[in-house]
Amino acid sequence: MNEIKIKSKNLNVYYGEKQALFDVNLDLNEKEVTALIGPSGCGKSTFIRCINRMNDVIDICKVSGNIEIDGVEINDKNLDVVSLRERVGMVFQKPNPFPKSIYDNISYGPKIHGKGETKSELDEIVENSLKKAALWEEVKDRLDEPGTGLSGGQQQRLCIARAISVNPEVILMDEPCSALDPIATAKIEELIDELKKTYTIVIVTHSMAQAVRVSQKTGFFHLGKLIEVGKTEKIFKNPDNKMTQDYITGRFG
Amino acid sequence: MNFVLIFLITIFSLSLFFYGRSKTKSISVEKNIKLNALPKFYGYYLVLWCSIPSLVFLLIWTLFEPVIIKSIIIETAANQGAIFNDKNEANLIYEKIKAIYAGTYFGDIDTILKESALSYAKFINLFTNSKIVLIFGIVIASVIYSLKKIKNNNKARDDVEVILKGLLFASSLIAILTTLGIIFSLLFESIKFFSVINIFDYLFGTNWSPQRAFVRDASAITAEEYEELKDAFGFIPLIAGTSFIAFIAMLVAVPVGLFSGIYMAEYASLKVRRISKPIIEILAGIPTVVYGFFAALTVGPFFRQIGENLGLTVSSESALAAGLIMGIMIIPYVSSLSDDVINSVPQSLRDGSYAVGATKSETIKKVVIPAALPGIIGSVLLAVSRAIGETMIVVMAAGLAANLTINPLESTTTITTQIVMILVGDQEFDSPKTQSAFALGLTLFIATLVLNYIAQRAVKKYREKYD
Repeated sequence: MNEIKIKSKNLNVYYGEKQALFDVNLDLNEKEVTALIGPSGCGKSTFIRCINRMNDVIDICKVSGNIEIDGVEINDKNLDVVSLRERVGMVFQKPNPFPKSIYDNISYGPKIHGKGETKSELDEIVENSLKKAALWEEVKDRLDEPGTGLSGGQQQRLCIARAISVNPEVILMDEPCSALDPIATAKIEELIDELKKTYTIVIVTHSMAQAVRVSQKTGFFHLGKLIEVGKTEKIFKNPDNKMTQDYITGRFG
Repeated sequence: MNFVLIFLITIFSLSLFFYGRSKTKSISVEKNIKLNALPKFYGYYLVLWCSIPSLVFLLIWTLFEPVIIKSIIIETAANQGAIFNDKNEANLIYEKIKAIYAGTYFGDIDTILKESALSYAKFINLFTNSKIVLIFGIVIASVIYSLKKIKNNNKARDDVEVILKGLLFASSLIAILTTLGIIFSLLFESIKFFSVINIFDYLFGTNWSPQRAFVRDASAITAEEYEELKDAFGFIPLIAGTSFIAFIAMLVAVPVGLFSGIYMAEYASLKVRRISKPIIEILAGIPTVVYGFFAALTVGPFFRQIGENLGLTVSSESALAAGLIMGIMIIPYVSSLSDDVINSVPQSLRDGSYAVGATKSETIKKVVIPAALPGIIGSVLLAVSRAIGETMIVVMAAGLAANLTINPLESTTTITTQIVMILVGDQEFDSPKTQSAFALGLTLFIATLVLNYIAQRAVKKYREKYD
């Protein structure tokens, strides 16, 4: 069992009047993949967006409760969001490369954080990030071509490379394969397996099979509440909760 | 008379609607057949058949009646011994005859005029009567035809669709044809101008003083006179003045408009947006003539005062005042267009940028603006084409003398101002001075057309990328 990296305590999230998360207490282990499953609108995306404070972007969103990373409270007005997001990267549902060259897509983050001051340092970061995202071989000859010209699966790996480029500790993935075909999905899953050696990964997924394949720990959300959490094997073979049982056997959701 | 006819046709067609509807209903009951369309379609069918042919006929008749009567009257007057040397004199006599008929002519009336007026009255009567008879004939014929159709249970729904499609097509045809008509009239008058003034003398001449050509018959200009005239129509000072004022306007409008657009799209809270957007749009609703006198009466003298205090000579009609006010006028266009394009940059791109730790301004500068750039360029080009086509402000505030200058404190002029100056008041229509207005109009039209085309292409290219 790895050490706990992220710890949420009594986390509540409101969108205006509507409460999206109710007292979520969830521990995420270091260098492990945690999958969050549950029907649409159950709050799993809202939860991971709390970990890098992406909910700040939404005006009407209010977050209360605690989230600690390495024992440091991050849900704190005085916390520097920029350095938090440097430590916690994110990959989105739909690949969203910037309308810039492949090279600029990757070098964007490091430049913002003042990493890679010389051209050769930057080149190295770009190369390493693309290699870690298993994209280097496919694009090394056309780094100056637009990132939007790649295929869907390549775009998503480009976005993973972009997240890796600032050398984070945690990578959040919000349904990273939902817009991809099965082959591209398989590649991303392979990549996740590789990445978990270095990073703590939280993945939101609608595919139960994917959760089983990639994760060590699974949390089941329903209507804003964390219903059950445990080892992936246990959740899928022998869940404690009837609702979890119903969901994973496809009786609702 | 025409109004009465139109009224009668309308009333009659509308009553046919109810007739057609109930008639087909009863037919379907009597013969126990299934109608090919809802009863109301048979009503529409009758209405359209009754009204369209007769109204179209009425329109054509009304257009051609005066022309035909005029040629007949002039011919009979000539036969009776009236003397006229050219078309203008013939027109004059015709106008006299019409005035006598209307009882508003108070000059001497000789026998020829009197006879002609009598025959004019006769023809008017004849034409009016035959018009009424023909219209009734057409109405009856088309109603009989359409009634026969609906009694045979025709496919009224399909027919109504076809007729409506035809009507809509005709409307769009009118829009296109009038545009073409305007372009061609510009073109033909310009060709007349260029047959007198060499097009290269016009395009590359650096001196604009068209008053030198005043009251000079374009068709009878000698070679010597042309030598004198050819450097009176130099286009360069006008395009220079126009571009210069537009440039000053863009210096004001682009930064202010773009920044306010960015603020509106990225920073303003819903509440601020709801209040300030309409306020900015009010700026777009102020009539340009109001901007014009603001520029001429307030800003111009203000600049001159400041200039005097600083020891500079500032014309009270300066390019700076005109350009500045024009820029203020254009701000809302730039602002609301760039607000729109920035808003249509997908949120996912912003999220991607925030997620690697970029701040809001970094995201805007490095991701949002580059992504929206084609659209922003498009909106700026649209603004430029507005600036060079804008008339009222420059007429009032920019001055009339065609100075070739780059000193913003001097007065300068624009294409639109010159067109206004040339066409205001009484004009000799065959003087090159008057015709030059059309040449200017054509040049301006081509310039804005090209700008608009490029702008729309840029905006479209951008839309394709994200929609």
